[in-house]
Amino acid sequence: MEFNRRNFIKFVAGGLGGTMLSPLPWKLIDDIAIWTQNWAWVPVPGRGKFSYIKTVCTLCPGACGIQVRKVGSRAVKIEGRSEYPVNHGAICPLGMAGLQTLYNEGIRWKAPMKRVGPRGSEKWKEISWDEALDTLTTRIKGLRDKGVPEELAAIDGNQSRSTMALLIKRLLSSIGSPNYLRMPQEEDTHAMVNFLMQGINSPLAFDLENTDFILSFGCGLLDGWGFPGSMLSVWRHWISDEQKKHKTHVVQVDPRASNTASKADIWLAPFPGTEAALALGIAHVIIQEKLYSKEFIENHCFGFYDWFDEKGVEHKGFSGIVLGKYSPANVEIITGIKSRVIIEVARKFASAHAPIALAGRGKGTLPGSLYEFMAVYALNALKGRINTKGGTLITDDVPLAPWAEVEYDSVANNGLTKERLDRAGTSKYPFTRSLIHKFTEAINGNQSSPVDTLLLCSANPVYTIPDNQSFIQALAKIPFIVSLSPFMDETSMMADMILPDHSHLEKMIDIIRPTGIQYPLYALSQPAVKPLYSTRHSGDVIISLAKRIGGSVAGSFQWANFEEAVKERVSGLYDAGKSKVSWEDITKNGYWYTPSHSFGEWTDIFKTPSKKFEFFSTEIELALTAYSKGKSFDDTLLDLGIRSKGDEVYMPHYEELKSSGDKNQYPLLLLPIEFINLASGWIGNPPFLNKTLFDHQLTKDDLFVEVNPKTASQYRLAEGSRAILQSPKGELSVRIHLFDGAMPGVIFVPFGLGHTAYDKYLKGKGVNPNEIIDPIEDPLSGQPVWWNTRVKVIKA
Amino acid sequence: MEADAKKPGRLKMDGWIFFLVGLIAALIVGWMVFPLLLYSEKSQPLIFSHASHGPESDAGLDCEECHFFYEDGTFSGIPGIKKCMECHEDSESPLSENSEEKKLFTDYVGTKKEIPWLVYARQPDCVYFPHIAHVKMAEIECKVCHGDFATRKIPPTYKLNRLTRYSIDIWGRNIAGYKKNTWDTMKMDDCADCHKRKGKENNNACFVCHK
Repeated sequence: MEFNRRNFIKFVAGGLGGTMLSPLPWKLIDDIAIWTQNWAWVPVPGRGKFSYIKTVCTLCPGACGIQVRKVGSRAVKIEGRSEYPVNHGAICPLGMAGLQTLYNEGIRWKAPMKRVGPRGSEKWKEISWDEALDTLTTRIKGLRDKGVPEELAAIDGNQSRSTMALLIKRLLSSIGSPNYLRMPQEEDTHAMVNFLMQGINSPLAFDLENTDFILSFGCGLLDGWGFPGSMLSVWRHWISDEQKKHKTHVVQVDPRASNTASKADIWLAPFPGTEAALALGIAHVIIQEKLYSKEFIENHCFGFYDWFDEKGVEHKGFSGIVLGKYSPANVEIITGIKSRVIIEVARKFASAHAPIALAGRGKGTLPGSLYEFMAVYALNALKGRINTKGGTLITDDVPLAPWAEVEYDSVANNGLTKERLDRAGTSKYPFTRSLIHKFTEAINGNQSSPVDTLLLCSANPVYTIPDNQSFIQALAKIPFIVSLSPFMDETSMMADMILPDHSHLEKMIDIIRPTGIQYPLYALSQPAVKPLYSTRHSGDVIISLAKRIGGSVAGSFQWANFEEAVKERVSGLYDAGKSKVSWEDITKNGYWYTPSHSFGEWTDIFKTPSKKFEFFSTEIELALTAYSKGKSFDDTLLDLGIRSKGDEVYMPHYEELKSSGDKNQYPLLLLPIEFINLASGWIGNPPFLNKTLFDHQLTKDDLFVEVNPKTASQYRLAEGSRAILQSPKGELSVRIHLFDGAMPGVIFVPFGLGHTAYDKYLKGKGVNPNEIIDPIEDPLSGQPVWWNTRVKVIKA
Repeated sequence: MEADAKKPGRLKMDGWIFFLVGLIAALIVGWMVFPLLLYSEKSQPLIFSHASHGPESDAGLDCEECHFFYEDGTFSGIPGIKKCMECHEDSESPLSENSEEKKLFTDYVGTKKEIPWLVYARQPDCVYFPHIAHVKMAEIECKVCHGDFATRKIPPTYKLNRLTRYSIDIWGRNIAGYKKNTWDTMKMDDCADCHKRKGKENNNACFVCHK
């Protein structure tokens, strides 16, 4: 009986048999199966009580009502609120991905920071709020003591009538600086059109729910335009046939088969930049075939027919000019749209029950061409679609209570006499409120910077401004830059100090009249979660800052905090409207509104000098007269970049834009495009939305640009080829995607990628067209024209 | 060896002892050693006595006081520290002379820290289990799945499966998986069997529990 090999085998056999008869192998297999499923990296929310917080998404001025589902203290999902009057349950992709703007640790500032390396080196030291506020207070007080309060400037991206915007403006005014700048927006162009043609200085509203024919000149209705959540809900309403007397038609003017164009009933693709001519070609048909609203035109319009002024000079009217210059045949040559199509669309527009013409481009976040918007708006006037159901509306005010007057001391008064650095509102740019590129020019054009301290709130101009290289140059000259951004964005990386704001889900913020909404609505968000980090509400920061500065500045900020400032404004709403509401009602529901519009009589809504809708804008005439003092009228027009002559300059008309690039050297046109699922504003694209991009848009770190196959073949470019896009301003490396829906001769480059800050999900992915956009100034408004950059493409 | 081989009809028994040794050794390892190695004993952070809190006790609390349904139908599960603090709020005036209560005050009530209870019934995250469907609609008593906790003076020993990280109560405290009471094992098959027995076989479709 030795332990030889045979016996060993017997031993093993016994062991195996015993093992099989024991639970070991069976339990082990079952447990290993479970063990292989325990992936430690799968994120699972902690356990806790479920709850819903009803609030408002404030990532854009669309103000969709949202409910945030929470498990314990962690927010886990954002959904649209079905009972919220703006969006009726719809929500856009960015709103849904909003949780990542809250919880992405890699992009949030967790406390106030001070820069400790050279600018852009990303070396920061955490400081206390006291130190941060003291530093800024000392700096501002220093400027006031030296008698140069105007050397403080601010760039604000908050909605124009929101409490945050008012607070920042108030801060600058009470300190004594006129240099309150706002990020350029399409809403500004709409407000200008409203002012020039109707005499009212406020944005336009559109009664989209009740229209049955939408003639959209480039507005990305399904691509994020205006108030995206609401637009999705409205589109749903348009395509559903129930209980509607008239079927809704959408005509989309777009140089590319965007989602909106693809889903529209008719897609028109005029050459980019000629949209005004198309609008006037349609106007031609309506005027010639007498399809216009006689009642409106005869009784409530000025400048439609030829007229004589008080000096006895004859002026051509709108109808005369349109009939003379914009026949469908002429417009066909300019735009490329066949004249019979122009006639057909014009007749359809004119015979619809409640048509509306909308001007815009893409998401409506960047300004448009003033004359073009006027031309489109004129179509609404031709059919009397002003302040009627389904038309463009004169907005009713939201009856918020005003604050006490700002207190000014002598330092402030002195500072406020100085001219704005961006010359906005001066005789050269009488209608525009803010021109950041001129601000940039003023700094770059000077030996030493006229700005000592720059504050930035809810804005990322280094990334979003067309031709951002000049802006970056200007920043380098400014001695002290403070960013209030919650995120590690490009502009914050150029700053010297960060005073981080809460993210949108951690704070109370208001939006007055979400973009384009047809009735007065006040939206107020409430925090969904407690602040995660040591951030502070920028409203509270502004108020603290003012109190520390003291004197009349503190006197202008009597509230303890932001909420008190809001509450004071909101008190005006309690008794206004149909029913009494309280502060509790408004904070609980997140809104106040009166769901009715006072469709005022045409006799008393227009506030122009003629008290009528003006095809011939008296305001433009006054402005040009003022500007042309001391020089010839032709020189004035040259100076303002207006190419047309005569009476046309006061009216909607088409003029060919000049660009800095020679058409022979730069044969192609660069058109930036915007997608609803690619955030392109001051909020960086959340990783969730990165996942929704196709491989033919972004692969690894390469951005694909869209080119028509015919154009691509001219340069021997295939699908996926690498190429260099070169404009007079610079060059970008891209890859080519062939798209039949892209207009030949145009390169479409998405906005939203090409970040150089944030974290691994965004940094270094793709390229930013703003780096090579070569903006000229839009005639009359002075806003940067970002849709007219010429480029050439070189195969890489 | 050769001599043995020539003997007719004689089995080669002497090697068989090795077989037997192997067999018995394997059986011992499989039935006794393996369970000891597989599970590690953990103790609950506090020795909570249901007997001294329940309906029959001095405290006289109904089960629903701590284990109830919210308005939206979700089940509260094991109560949080706030619930304990409804009675045990002042460390200066404890409700007993128990050292466990003292631990409650020093470690948890003071800092309002949640007690990290070890949960016997924890199922994997992929499982959607609605208490309301079983308690209110099917009217199943708690002890059918959980065993009788209400009269326990001390919580059962928590044994953690080192591989799967779940409690031993899922497979069962019997290593053979032998089931005498309804609460002895709670794996997927147990749910499926009960559904079948109660005539709710439709609830055995995958997506009902794995949403």
